[in-house]
Amino acid sequence: MKNYILYLLLLFPILSNSQTLKGEVFGNDDTGKQPLPGVNIFWQGTNDGVASKGDGTFEITKSSSQQILVFSFVGYEQKVVHINNLKPIEVTLEPNLQIEEVTVIKKNRGAYLSVINPIQSEKITGAELHKAACCNLAESFETNPSVDVSYSDAVTGAKQIRLLGLEGTYSLLQIENMPNLRGLATTFGLTYIPGPWLESIQVSKGAASVLNGYDAIAGQINAELKKPDSDEKLFLNTYANSHGRFEFNGNTNIRIIDKKLTTGIFVHASNLSKITDDNGDGFLDTPLTKQFQLQNRWKYNNQKGHTVQAGINILFEDRLGGQTGFERGMNPSLSNPYGINIKTNRIDAFFKTGYVFPNARTAIALLSNISYHETNSFYGLTDFDADETRFYGSAVLTRDLDVAGIHSLNTGFSFVYDDFNENLYWNNILRTEKVPGIFAEYTLKPSENLTLMTGIRADFHNMFGTFITPRMHFRYKMGEHVTLRTSAGKGYRTANVLSENIYLLANSRPLLWQDDVMQEKAWNYGITLVQHYTLLDRDLQLNAEYYRTDFQTQLIVDRETSADNIIFAPLDGKSYANSLQFDIRWQPVKRLDMLLAYRINDVKQTIGGKLLEKPLTSRYKGLINFNYTTNLKKWMFDYTVQFNGGGRIPDYNVSNISKEFSPYTIMNAQVTKYFRYWNVYLGAENLTNFKQDNPIEGADNPFGSQFDAINVWGPINGIKIYLGLRFKLDYKE
Amino acid sequence: MKNVIYVFMMVVFVGFSTNQASAQKKGNEVVYFKSSMDCGNCEKTITEYVKFEKGVKELKVDHVSNTIRIEYKKGKNSEEGLAKAIEKKGYTAKKITHDQYEKIIAETSDNEHEHGNEVHKERK
Repeated sequence: MKNYILYLLLLFPILSNSQTLKGEVFGNDDTGKQPLPGVNIFWQGTNDGVASKGDGTFEITKSSSQQILVFSFVGYEQKVVHINNLKPIEVTLEPNLQIEEVTVIKKNRGAYLSVINPIQSEKITGAELHKAACCNLAESFETNPSVDVSYSDAVTGAKQIRLLGLEGTYSLLQIENMPNLRGLATTFGLTYIPGPWLESIQVSKGAASVLNGYDAIAGQINAELKKPDSDEKLFLNTYANSHGRFEFNGNTNIRIIDKKLTTGIFVHASNLSKITDDNGDGFLDTPLTKQFQLQNRWKYNNQKGHTVQAGINILFEDRLGGQTGFERGMNPSLSNPYGINIKTNRIDAFFKTGYVFPNARTAIALLSNISYHETNSFYGLTDFDADETRFYGSAVLTRDLDVAGIHSLNTGFSFVYDDFNENLYWNNILRTEKVPGIFAEYTLKPSENLTLMTGIRADFHNMFGTFITPRMHFRYKMGEHVTLRTSAGKGYRTANVLSENIYLLANSRPLLWQDDVMQEKAWNYGITLVQHYTLLDRDLQLNAEYYRTDFQTQLIVDRETSADNIIFAPLDGKSYANSLQFDIRWQPVKRLDMLLAYRINDVKQTIGGKLLEKPLTSRYKGLINFNYTTNLKKWMFDYTVQFNGGGRIPDYNVSNISKEFSPYTIMNAQVTKYFRYWNVYLGAENLTNFKQDNPIEGADNPFGSQFDAINVWGPINGIKIYLGLRFKLDYKE
Repeated sequence: MKNVIYVFMMVVFVGFSTNQASAQKKGNEVVYFKSSMDCGNCEKTITEYVKFEKGVKELKVDHVSNTIRIEYKKGKNSEEGLAKAIEKKGYTAKKITHDQYEKIIAETSDNEHEHGNEVHKERK
């Protein structure tokens, strides 16, 4: 009887006039086909449409007159399919140009280089983020050949990144495609994004698209956080390491209305309370740090091309560094030990919405975020108190100018508001930046193999006047194996002299500045060559790239021409950075991923009238990373070695002989065991236990004139063992 | 930098010597199922669940041909146990023979060559 009903049900749609067509949509990008959610699927000439679900499947009703089905999705070529019968269909969309709003779909491979994007870019996915599991954005680059991470100084625990040998401030740091963690958040901002909240990171080098602003001189780093409409229902993570750091991260996604309206709640709490002084200089190797963060975000997706996302994040952090005898609650005074205390409160909110018109040739997007950041701190006897209010808003209209998508245009406008209130050495500095801007970007893509993207923007700055930002990108796929890219562009940046360099207070010489704000300008040129081959049945990827950055104006931090001060002065002379990098990616053995990379940094700037190597910058970096997973990925093993070249140590002395640091090697390893709902990881950082000798000069007399904790080039911490646990529960489809 | 080249050479050498993949290992049993998946995501769901069943050594789940091939350690699990695991996730598991499995695979790869191989190679 049951069978009869089933047969009837099966027959029913065929008898009725409107029938259901089922299918699945895939997106084809450089790692292969992946199910593509959110694709607009409609009958040509009508408004009858649906969107593909989270797993790429769809169902659409078909009347006998409807035969031509159109598939369209931002970032992919539109596809038209002739439907003659009701057999389930499978459609694969080819990527169009990468518009920044393309949905990120998780890949199995850890990190890879895109061949489609006209901008040389690298993606670090969830899989890669599992490799070096500790702890926040700053540490997510351990296995990445392009980004260097180092301590800013020996006492605050602040970490900074370098791209193309240039400080992180020259790269545009974004969260979900919106600039973030700038100004006051520059120094510690990388530790404000907990690793387990991350979904993926995109690193692109050289000039970026004008859509994202006039910043991005050396490149752009975009962090995507987990989305509330993902399959993840509950995620919990705990972590502990041998330096006394404990961490808890958790997030949960709640489906209010199916996948249409979803919300995610994120929590982070970490505490480091163990006093460690391995080098015996009387100073904490790692500051005692407490951090708490809470985030709530919402997503609405009507599955017909309209999405809205909004969220709010709060953060509290307290860092206590300096001499081991300094305790919380002590006052900065000569009769107490030397102490550093930085208290931060930050609140962040974002709102973005996008709409794709049914014809799929036009899309609009609105992005905005706002933050309030408050810092109360002291470094020894010097107080620094500041707050910043920041707003960013941008509206973009994307339009394919023809049906084939050969010509497309992005236009829009943006507004940046940045209000500072800084207090240092009896100065109260107030300043407000207001920058409305307009931009347009034209993309020509006459064939799969060629992309030309030109962009220009004009910004009307209340302090620096009107300035024009031209950018250009070119991609050409020469035959099957080789992709060539070139880029050129100008970039500007507002240097917030104090807020971005405040860690320099960890030395005895007071800071001396002419202006509390200035505009930096630079040109960046790049050429890259990516090659794909098959060697012994497995993909071999070779990458060679060269970037040059030429500064026209720059803020120079001069630590070496004065015995009395650290001087901030505008560049007077030349300043440039050359970066040459090669990497090889291959699987020598099944499931063993190998990455070999080597980069030469040649960074010079004019300091005190002389063209000198940029201090504390390694002349080269080599990286070897092996990642092995057992069959069915029940175990994962990781091993990373970094070879860091030597460099120059800035030092004020009369004899004018530069000090040097020697090359050094860092080794990390990790093992992960996966179970059905949870996994456990055990790892070690800095296995060779390499430490910089005497990271703090004059440590025995921190209030004396020889005290200097800012000449840091290597690790301060020795070997660190860590253990973590992840638990994950997914929604059933 | 010399070291890097040495490591690379070594790795290449190892790559050559272990390149020959072995098929079914001794002491392992293989079972084939016909199932009721209707989407790519089901494939993922089953894979992620069944791979953690006791004794499972190799697993191939394919939603296009609707088949599941499981290689497991003899004595650690049973055909019934594995079928149960698949059913627990809401899919049917009808046991088929090796020949039937090969036949289905051959048929589907003929019809749907646009899909099949390419995708699943990537997912493995």
